[in-house]
Amino acid sequence: MGPLLRTVELFYDVLSPYSWLGFEVLCRYQNIWNINLQLRPSLIGGIMKDSGNKPPGLLPRKGQYMANDIKLLRHHFQIPIQFPKDFFSVIIEKGSLSAMRFLTAVSLEHPEMLEKASRELWMRVWSRVSVGLWESSGRTFDDFLTFPRNVFRVMILPSPLPQRIYCPPVTPLSFDEDITQPQSILAAAEKAGMSAEQAQGLLEKISTPKVKNQLKETTEAACRYGAFGLPITVAHVDGQTHMIFGSDRMELLAFLLGEKWMGPVPPAVNARL
Amino acid sequence: MGPLLRTVELFYDVLSPYSWLGFEVLCRYQNIWNINLQLRPSLIGGIMKDSGNKPPGLLPRKGQYMANDIKLLRHHFQIPIQFPKDFFSVIIEKGSLSAMRFLTAVSLEHPEMLEKASRELWMRVWSRVKFSSEIPIQYHAAAEKAGMSAEQAQGLLEKISTPKVKNQLKETTEAACRYGAFGLPITVAHVDGQTHMIFGSDRMELLAFLLGKLKIQH
Repeated sequence: MGPLLRTVELFYDVLSPYSWLGFEVLCRYQNIWNINLQLRPSLIGGIMKDSGNKPPGLLPRKGQYMANDIKLLRHHFQIPIQFPKDFFSVIIEKGSLSAMRFLTAVSLEHPEMLEKASRELWMRVWSRVSVGLWESSGRTFDDFLTFPRNVFRVMILPSPLPQRIYCPPVTPLSFDEDITQPQSILAAAEKAGMSAEQAQGLLEKISTPKVKNQLKETTEAACRYGAFGLPITVAHVDGQTHMIFGSDRMELLAFLLGEKWMGPVPPAVNARL
Repeated sequence: MGPLLRTVELFYDVLSPYSWLGFEVLCRYQNIWNINLQLRPSLIGGIMKDSGNKPPGLLPRKGQYMANDIKLLRHHFQIPIQFPKDFFSVIIEKGSLSAMRFLTAVSLEHPEMLEKASRELWMRVWSRVKFSSEIPIQYHAAAEKAGMSAEQAQGLLEKISTPKVKNQLKETTEAACRYGAFGLPITVAHVDGQTHMIFGSDRMELLAFLLGKLKIQH
């Protein structure tokens, strides 16, 4: 559609599994499509409150559906996402206020680290591979994508899923990790490549008015765009603004941008394999 | 992945706009993919009641989003779908009991006409392009538009309130609930001895993946 760079905002919360899926897809496409991806850490709890909505997982059949859905999307999207063992305690009770304030601080002080820092927090809550065998081997999410397929042949799920799927080993010792304690956040920050000082400095900023207000403003901006949950993707195209909810409308986004949709795992990503 | 025909069931209600979108996509793909598409007229009201869910449109921001979403999907899916002006009185109050019983009768007596008859009903509720308003639905007109004779149409209308048709609609709706439905549409794919239930009209790419239609890019 011409060389004009279009801004695409992603409002997300690490508590939201579909936010992770949408995030990874947009990160993959930001170097393929002509877009300027702006990551907007937000608070899903605030959006729920403001819109009068409730977390879908609270309805039993929706929770059941989500658990299955995530299992399938793990393979389709090739993201090592897994339901935490204690969904209610992790997601509903503990929440994400500190984590999202931390990411807000990152967005203000070290925006170039925001992508990696966000990913590390998702890995803690929504991926069992961050513990045990996987962690002790020093592997990261990038490695998940670049692992030679032979290593995983024995780990592949039985049919009907296609045979060549990368499925990292899940150890019986693995458990989802906390994101509410300072040490947890520091661990994620260092994994994202921050030095101990940088991480500590950002952590200290979490309770400053500047960071608190920024998170509040970003969350309110999402509400003004009409959000009733997360993720929302806001595309600014030819003077128009389109808000798209969820991680399953990326093909529609491509349509609005006049770009080509190549599935959730576009070839450019696999060129590294 | 070979030549084996896989059964794909679509549970739908003409009250549900996303059911129309999912329906048209599957109708288009039934001749491209190696699938046996089974249309299952169901009652979304019954599913809501059984699952404890509520119509999304009742939450103001969701209703607003849906109105915009439908506008965009109209073009993306190339289906002449439009939000009815009086959404609440049409959709929420009047409901779809007669319409879905009618389609159930069609599914029992003239299953080969079910696709066209379903489409005609969606056109009357969700497409203002042709109809200013057709609530209550003129079933005779819809049936004849779908290719039925006047006698066939009359015969079906007489069957709407028979126990056989009422029970069939009830059973189909219960089957959807057993698959885990909390809304419609749901698509149930039977692949290699496994059953996958997919909700909504925006997971057709995942369905293709499960059917083995998509290869992993290398």
